[in-house]
Amino acid sequence: MMSAAQRALRNDIVIGCILLALAVAAPFVVDSRFAITQTIVFFIWAMVTVQWNLVFGYAGIFSLAQMVIFAFGAYMTAVIGLELGWSVWAAAPVAAVGAVGFSLILGLACLRLTGAYVALLTLAVAQIAYVLIRTETLPLGGQSGMSRFGDLGFRPMLGADWYIGNYYVGLTLLTISIIFSIIVIRGPLGLAFQALRDSPGLARARGISRLKYQLWVFGATAFFTGLAGGFYAAHFRIVGPQILSLSLLLFMLAMVVIGGRGRVWGALIGTGVLLLTDELLREVAGDYRNLVLGLLIALFVMFMPQGIAGALSAGVDKVKNRLTRKRETPSSH
Amino acid sequence: MTGGPLLEVEELASGYGSQLVLHDISLSVREGELAVVLGPNGHGKTTLLRTISGLLRPQRGQIRLAGQRVDGQRVHRIVAAGVVHVPQGDLLFPDMTVLENLQMGAHLPAARKEYQQRLQMVHDLLPRLAERANQQARTLSGGERRMVGIGRGLMTGGRILMLDEPSLGLAPVIIEQIYEVIGRLRDEGITIVLVEENAERIAELADEVHLLDHGHIAWHGPAVDLMSRPELRATYLGG
Amino acid sequence: MDTLNQILVTGLTLGAMYAMSTVGLSLVWGALGMLNLAHGVILAIGGYTAYWVIAQMGFPLVVGLFGAMAMGALLGVVMYFGIVRQMLKSKDFETNIIIATIGIAIALENLLLRGFGGSAIPQPIQFSGGFWIGMVYVPWQNAIILITAVVFMGLLAWFLQKSRHGRAIRATAQNRDAARLMGVDTGNVYIQVLALAGALAAISGIMLSSMTTLTPGMGADPMIKAFIICVVAGLGNVGAAAIAAFALGMIEAGAQFQFGSHLGFPTLLVIVIAVLIWRPYGLFGREEVERL
Repeated sequence: MMSAAQRALRNDIVIGCILLALAVAAPFVVDSRFAITQTIVFFIWAMVTVQWNLVFGYAGIFSLAQMVIFAFGAYMTAVIGLELGWSVWAAAPVAAVGAVGFSLILGLACLRLTGAYVALLTLAVAQIAYVLIRTETLPLGGQSGMSRFGDLGFRPMLGADWYIGNYYVGLTLLTISIIFSIIVIRGPLGLAFQALRDSPGLARARGISRLKYQLWVFGATAFFTGLAGGFYAAHFRIVGPQILSLSLLLFMLAMVVIGGRGRVWGALIGTGVLLLTDELLREVAGDYRNLVLGLLIALFVMFMPQGIAGALSAGVDKVKNRLTRKRETPSSH
Repeated sequence: MTGGPLLEVEELASGYGSQLVLHDISLSVREGELAVVLGPNGHGKTTLLRTISGLLRPQRGQIRLAGQRVDGQRVHRIVAAGVVHVPQGDLLFPDMTVLENLQMGAHLPAARKEYQQRLQMVHDLLPRLAERANQQARTLSGGERRMVGIGRGLMTGGRILMLDEPSLGLAPVIIEQIYEVIGRLRDEGITIVLVEENAERIAELADEVHLLDHGHIAWHGPAVDLMSRPELRATYLGG
Repeated sequence: MDTLNQILVTGLTLGAMYAMSTVGLSLVWGALGMLNLAHGVILAIGGYTAYWVIAQMGFPLVVGLFGAMAMGALLGVVMYFGIVRQMLKSKDFETNIIIATIGIAIALENLLLRGFGGSAIPQPIQFSGGFWIGMVYVPWQNAIILITAVVFMGLLAWFLQKSRHGRAIRATAQNRDAARLMGVDTGNVYIQVLALAGALAAISGIMLSSMTTLTPGMGADPMIKAFIICVVAGLGNVGAAAIAAFALGMIEAGAQFQFGSHLGFPTLLVIVIAVLIWRPYGLFGREEVERL
């Protein structure tokens, strides 16, 4: 008989395989270029939100620096491509490592603080980066951004279908990110964080250092976030300060929250739901898109604070309970 | 001289989320009485007082003050009805002076009307508070904090004064002083509910003793009776 | 000497505006434990309300000012009844309320955009000319901002220190349960605090937009600065926040002068990070008390 933890892991693997199979098959079945390229966007944002979910939802670090780290990876990839002439295949991983270094500095500066303070500090760093790049105080292409640093190189091979090559690269990266996320949540690190959350005093007495673990998560997730940034740069072939805008940051935060903090599939659900909703709103509400989005975010966090993943899991539990109750022999109750 | 029932608690159940701490509490405190609730830590003494003053919502049961139901109401209404709770840990306002803490005690309109008289009374009873009037609460010693807490409660006035472990964490000399004050309050006819783990002074002070055991009242009666029952003393007072 | 005076004038003006936009935030944070990320948009709404009342409806300046204050206060009250009261009961209030206010901020900013357009609009409450103090030229605009801020800070200080309601607010901020046990209706306290913070934010929005222009997104930067000031001063310490606001205004003015205007904010941040590494709870803060 499997333990609850083993069962959870098994469920994760099953769900993951199904989704992966669907995603691999999709370009052969779906003929729309728009759908595929939009899915690539989904892959990119999902990579970020899955990592952000680990930082915020799981390790409990209320960091708003995720997009800065993402941008660091993107810009560094561009710079390496432009200055050193490297292919993005080499530049992106290096940029990812750079992002780790950047995040560790950030982490050391603010992880000793509690909740709101971390949020503020990271928000400030994000806002400042935005301003510095936009105003060309940092020579990173200003408002129009950086380009011509190379791409993934599928054009010679696939011609007009180059984006399908990008699709599979993106899918691979997302899959690795999710596997990493599952390892963290279901593995010994996850248990440590669970202990820190449920009984912080006891955990500390047993020698589990919150700072050390948080720093570890912060740095490790930065790798994948930076990598996502590199992929973004390689796919869109242009990197601009729009990725640091406050509205995008908040949009992404909404994905993590609405999807369900701390849940393995929460970030994926949230990203998908919000991207779809955004498309829908663009059609339906047009200029009032943000109004609806903002209200949705507020309503969700008020009435469904566990997110969609949380609500689903609670619903599944309820159904399970009813089924097991039915299976019990009818008693005098 | 004790009169009719002032505080009545009936089949009270209360706790935190799904964890019930109090299971089925019934007790009654007469006007002018000094009632003591005794029990080891974790059995619900603080939960009881917090439920009566409204900081905690009861899950079952009733609480009546002079016949009026107060359970389920908001804290400030319960206080306005006359329940004064001097909490465990003092809960002083750390960045306010002693005097400001006492002023906050007299926040309610009824208390404000009597502000000068009550302040004078508190200063007479606890002269240290007058000496330290402009000192920040955060810098006070344990005993002084306790006195500010009690003084604050007296400023509020009310019909019943509830004290949560007033001797907790204090040196014996200070405990003496605190109990002396409590004794004087009792002599003035103030209705007092005292919650304690330490039973040493009980016989002298209490009119009625309630023994709290795992969220139930195991026994209650006059203090004299408790003292004359060796089996109860052994179980609850450690002999 | 001349540049020093220039920095003084600029710095005090900046400080005055920062103080106005910060103390309300500090109050709310202290009394409710709530980081209100809609603060920036309330600031902007204050500026736009004044514009609407004065430039579009034709009322005098003073009406515009009070209209903006009323609007800010109203938003605070509506937020309480609509969102805060409901969420206070939940366990994760402190993080969830941040996200809820983010949602409200996004929604409200969209409304501003739809209502007034995205282009910059000049704030009608403007004063031209100035006067000389010795060798220093002081524009009326700056002087009025400074005087207004000082007056409001004074009123707020008196209110918090000397009045019964002000004391109740401070008590609630220092120990919520104890305040309740004194008979304080904490619900009323929250309403008062949110209304007050909204009104102050609205005024600061007028001030800021009078020095620059009105745009729907104008509140983001000042809000972040206000939060940073609160953090440096220490959670919930309103007096320290006011002082820190003026100090940071001066520092920013100095940095702008020395390094150029774009580096004012980043310089500030570097200083703030340094302060926080030295004192994690802010200069005048202390270890946070459990708000159980």
